[in-house]
Amino acid sequence: MADYKLYGTSALGGYNADFEGATLKEVTGLGIVSVSAPLDGKPALTAAVKSAYGCALPKPALSVLSKDKSARLVSTQPDQFFILFDHAKPDAANHVAGLLGDAGYYTDQSDNWLTLALSGRLARSALERICPVDLGPEIFNVNASARTVMHHLGTLILRTGEDDYLLLSARSSALSFLHVVKTSVENVS
Amino acid sequence: MIRNNRIDGGLIDRTKSLKFTFNGTEMGGHAGDTLASALLANGQRLVGRSFKYHRPRGIFSAGSEEPNAMVQLRHGAWQEPNTRATMAELFDGLHATSQNHRGSLEKDFLAINDRLSNFLTAGFYYKTFMWPKSFWEKVYEPIIRASAGLGRLSGEPDPDTYDKGFLHCDVLVIGSGPAGLMAALTAGRAGARVILADEDHLLGGRLNSDMQEVAEQAAADWAAATVAELVDMGNVRVMPRTTVHGVFDHGIYGLLERKTDHLASSGGKPRQVHWRVYAKRAILCAGATERPIAFANNDRPGIMLAGAVRSYANRYAVATGKHLAIFTNNDSGWQAASDLSAKGIAITAVIDTREITPPATIKGAALVMGGRIRDTAGRKSLTSITLTNGLTLPVDCLAVSGGWSPNVHLTCHLGNRPVWDDEIAGFIPGKSLPSGMSVAGAADGDMTLSAALKSGVAEGKAAIQDLGLPPAKTKAPDSNDEHFAVTPFWQVATPKRAWVDLQNDVTTKDIKQAQREGFQAVEHLKRYTTLGMATDQGKTSNVLGLAIMAEASDKTIPETGTTVFRPPFTPVTLGAFAGSARGKNFRPTRRPPSHNWATEKGAQFVETGLWLRAQWYPRSGETKWRESVDREVRKTRASVGICDVSTLGKIDVQGRDAATFLNKVYANGFAKLAVGRVRYGIMLREDGFCYDDGTTARLSENHFVMTTTTANAGLVYQRLEFARQCLWPDLDVHLISVTDGWAQYAVAGPNSRKLLQKIVDEDHDISDEAFPFMACGAVSVCGGKPARLFRISFSGERAYEIAVPTRFGDALVRVLMAAGEEFGITPYGTEALGVMRIEKGHAAGNELNGQTTALNLGMGGMVSKNKDSIGSTLSSRPGMQGEDTLQLVGLRPVKPADKLSAGAHFLDVGAAAKLENDLGWMTSVAYSPTMGHYIGLGFVKYGHIRQGEVIRAWDGVRGTDIEVEITSPHFYDPDGGLQRG
Repeated sequence: MADYKLYGTSALGGYNADFEGATLKEVTGLGIVSVSAPLDGKPALTAAVKSAYGCALPKPALSVLSKDKSARLVSTQPDQFFILFDHAKPDAANHVAGLLGDAGYYTDQSDNWLTLALSGRLARSALERICPVDLGPEIFNVNASARTVMHHLGTLILRTGEDDYLLLSARSSALSFLHVVKTSVENVS
Repeated sequence: MIRNNRIDGGLIDRTKSLKFTFNGTEMGGHAGDTLASALLANGQRLVGRSFKYHRPRGIFSAGSEEPNAMVQLRHGAWQEPNTRATMAELFDGLHATSQNHRGSLEKDFLAINDRLSNFLTAGFYYKTFMWPKSFWEKVYEPIIRASAGLGRLSGEPDPDTYDKGFLHCDVLVIGSGPAGLMAALTAGRAGARVILADEDHLLGGRLNSDMQEVAEQAAADWAAATVAELVDMGNVRVMPRTTVHGVFDHGIYGLLERKTDHLASSGGKPRQVHWRVYAKRAILCAGATERPIAFANNDRPGIMLAGAVRSYANRYAVATGKHLAIFTNNDSGWQAASDLSAKGIAITAVIDTREITPPATIKGAALVMGGRIRDTAGRKSLTSITLTNGLTLPVDCLAVSGGWSPNVHLTCHLGNRPVWDDEIAGFIPGKSLPSGMSVAGAADGDMTLSAALKSGVAEGKAAIQDLGLPPAKTKAPDSNDEHFAVTPFWQVATPKRAWVDLQNDVTTKDIKQAQREGFQAVEHLKRYTTLGMATDQGKTSNVLGLAIMAEASDKTIPETGTTVFRPPFTPVTLGAFAGSARGKNFRPTRRPPSHNWATEKGAQFVETGLWLRAQWYPRSGETKWRESVDREVRKTRASVGICDVSTLGKIDVQGRDAATFLNKVYANGFAKLAVGRVRYGIMLREDGFCYDDGTTARLSENHFVMTTTTANAGLVYQRLEFARQCLWPDLDVHLISVTDGWAQYAVAGPNSRKLLQKIVDEDHDISDEAFPFMACGAVSVCGGKPARLFRISFSGERAYEIAVPTRFGDALVRVLMAAGEEFGITPYGTEALGVMRIEKGHAAGNELNGQTTALNLGMGGMVSKNKDSIGSTLSSRPGMQGEDTLQLVGLRPVKPADKLSAGAHFLDVGAAAKLENDLGWMTSVAYSPTMGHYIGLGFVKYGHIRQGEVIRAWDGVRGTDIEVEITSPHFYDPDGGLQRG
């Protein structure tokens, strides 16, 4: 067999840009795994998560950090959540399955999503031009999450810090999504 | 001649001088001016021409209700017509031109229309231009169209950018006059999230034009201090230059924020932002609009609303005339007279239609109680007025007040009807307000300053209480109050024209004529006369027109009715509705993993939904698309080709009951699908018609991956979720899309396995024995990279689909091409894909159009009778099982050189092209390089028993009528031996 190699590429090639009042960058090397609780299996999954990550399951519209802060568990729908963690290898689901065993159903979502990190004092101003969700700082608290639509594109938005947000949208439309967010940042900066 | 009409005082910034041009003449103004105030300051009375009669027109108001002073702003592509000079903030270098005239503003050739007014009365266009009939399109309509409209578009793409956004609040306060400021203050101090929006650049509403005091301060100073307090609150968002233009369901409001209209250049930032505001409560504090009185020739430049004259003097420090007269039916006319007189402006007379004791003495002014104006003079600027008592007064400005109409517009956007209030002689909001909305101040009929302040506090407190916030302690400040009393008086009877709607040139004559001709209903009146249409939507004319119709009909105003106000309150630039969704950014673009590589290879792309897919890959020397497509088909069938099929919907299905679930959503059986195998399936709607097809692979006992068509990926997912959550919540089954997570390539052709064997790691046996047709499984490629391999075929060849995590998609296509070089590999696009599937007789979107059944598609046998699945029961209805049902067949031209066309209808030979002879239609056609002629798929009645017969493919659109032979739909390898290997 010839020595054929597959290299990996991120959705936007590691986009990273600073604007006045905001920075916008692609988050690469992120493992994303969806975990679904089997019917009547939530107690077991809760226990497995507690054991493996040292935290409870995320409540609706919230995310929760693992005890060692290495993973963020994000509520996505009833009986389903995502686990986000640094993991460059293409086996994130196997990694989670190794930790949680047969307590859940796992699907690797790492390659489904473009993840953008938007930070800075103007981040919220930029987002309010594209995000229908109420991002008022006392409403959309740190660790809040929401599934929404931005410029026709399905988006999972997380608030990870005072002025820090993660935006996950479909990888195939990454350039369009970047255009939307970048334009909004430019419009307010 | 430029004159300086500036007086002392005002809220303009005299330290900042600005220059601007009007019709090429340079003029000066100050920061804080509007274009209208600056024009008046420079003595420019004539600013435009009326719509129909091209009468000279001047500035009439000082706000967004302006019907006359429509101008074009800016140059070139930035030129914008129909801008209200009263709302345009002055900036240095502003370029304004007048509009709606042929020739100069001073000498408008179309002023001839004024002499033809007897022929241009209400509804003239419904009555004239009827003969000769042939003149309509060639003569009349072009002339009317050329004459219609006010300003002119630049004809170039709008170079400005726009944006949209979303805001949320507890309380939206609409308008920043005394009521609005107090409402915002009350809610803001209580901790509510407040948005205060006002269309003006300077917040304060009437307070900026008042000489009264609030809390022992000048009204404008109190307003400025209050706004400053609001701005300092972290929970209040103050939005000047922002019009709340519409009220929509569920507490949603449309706001247009003019970000850079007051600047010479937008500096690359959005000119305007269109906000969607979600408000738990809204307090409408939009104030009231003054209305005129109808009398002969009441449209001359220099005849203005009294409140506007007062506003120009008090706020903008502009005297609108040297010798003014006031014509009023209410006390506010006297307030204007007092203010102006105090400013040193000579008041010649106050003419009050009421027979009352004069409410005030005005120095040097004749006070005419019970007075009427019979006529006016002055073609391009008012020179005199003549009273019905015969007295002629030389005046250059007439301030008219016919009373005030509360701005109830936004209360009506969801269907609420305003109600008449005799006390203020105006409509106030009806009781069925939009949910969550309350009204305060003059908009609710509280016409005095102290009443407005108090009602703002009251509604602010009510909103807070409603929201469950702690009670507010805010109280209304003290203010000195004005008198407000009005005795309705609408028109001075005259045989001459007396204008009601200045923008549309609607006179009292027109309204009376409409009444005589039976157009008495308010909505008919509007359409017949154009009363209340166009950019101002009749803000100054609606009530007056209604009153005149009521008088003509001998009815009261409530009996006559009112018009319905709809969004927008004032015009909204179309660009603001579009926001940044323009051109290619109108909608998102999805790119498959091979996109960059395909671009490098010069692929032609096609939009399929949101996806941008490679359509074909032209090679050097190929000048026609068919050459490329034919080559791709031939080379694939001869050796191997690859195609990016990542766009197909991919759904991960997991759970103990996943197989049971799939067995219910597919018409054919899936319960016994073995691990490591793939099955083709069709999905029916509840009505039994097919809506999608695809394959589902069983990766493990409880784990499946389903593919859908590209077009229906979202729909199928939606329906599966509905079935999972609502129909069978007791099943343990979980779904998630993995469409974007896997880069998937079809590898087709006799050498496909040899190619794959070069990249699939050796510990995976993909021989025919180990990996037969319809096998699937996880493999690794290129030294351990995860992949999934499916042995399925859309082309009819031995074929596979190989999927890798999308991050490797770009690399995989390059590896496949490199590895396939020894086989003469070709990439193929959607065209070749389509040709090969037609050759093979596979149904696609043209056949699965939502109107066809499994039986139509030749797959009736797949609908299992041994189980219940979605649509299976209704698919067995007798009407869908008839002998004459349409059947998918193949068609080939009797004359091989004939070209087939999709959409052609089938007729028997010799049958007339009539509906009753219709046998079906051609769904898909292609030139088949394999067959050497065109082939087609189509639905034909009794198709299954007519194979070998000749019918006609008649295409009335393209004008072709071709004899075709009915064949099997499977032109290529009908036994399937090739794909099974």
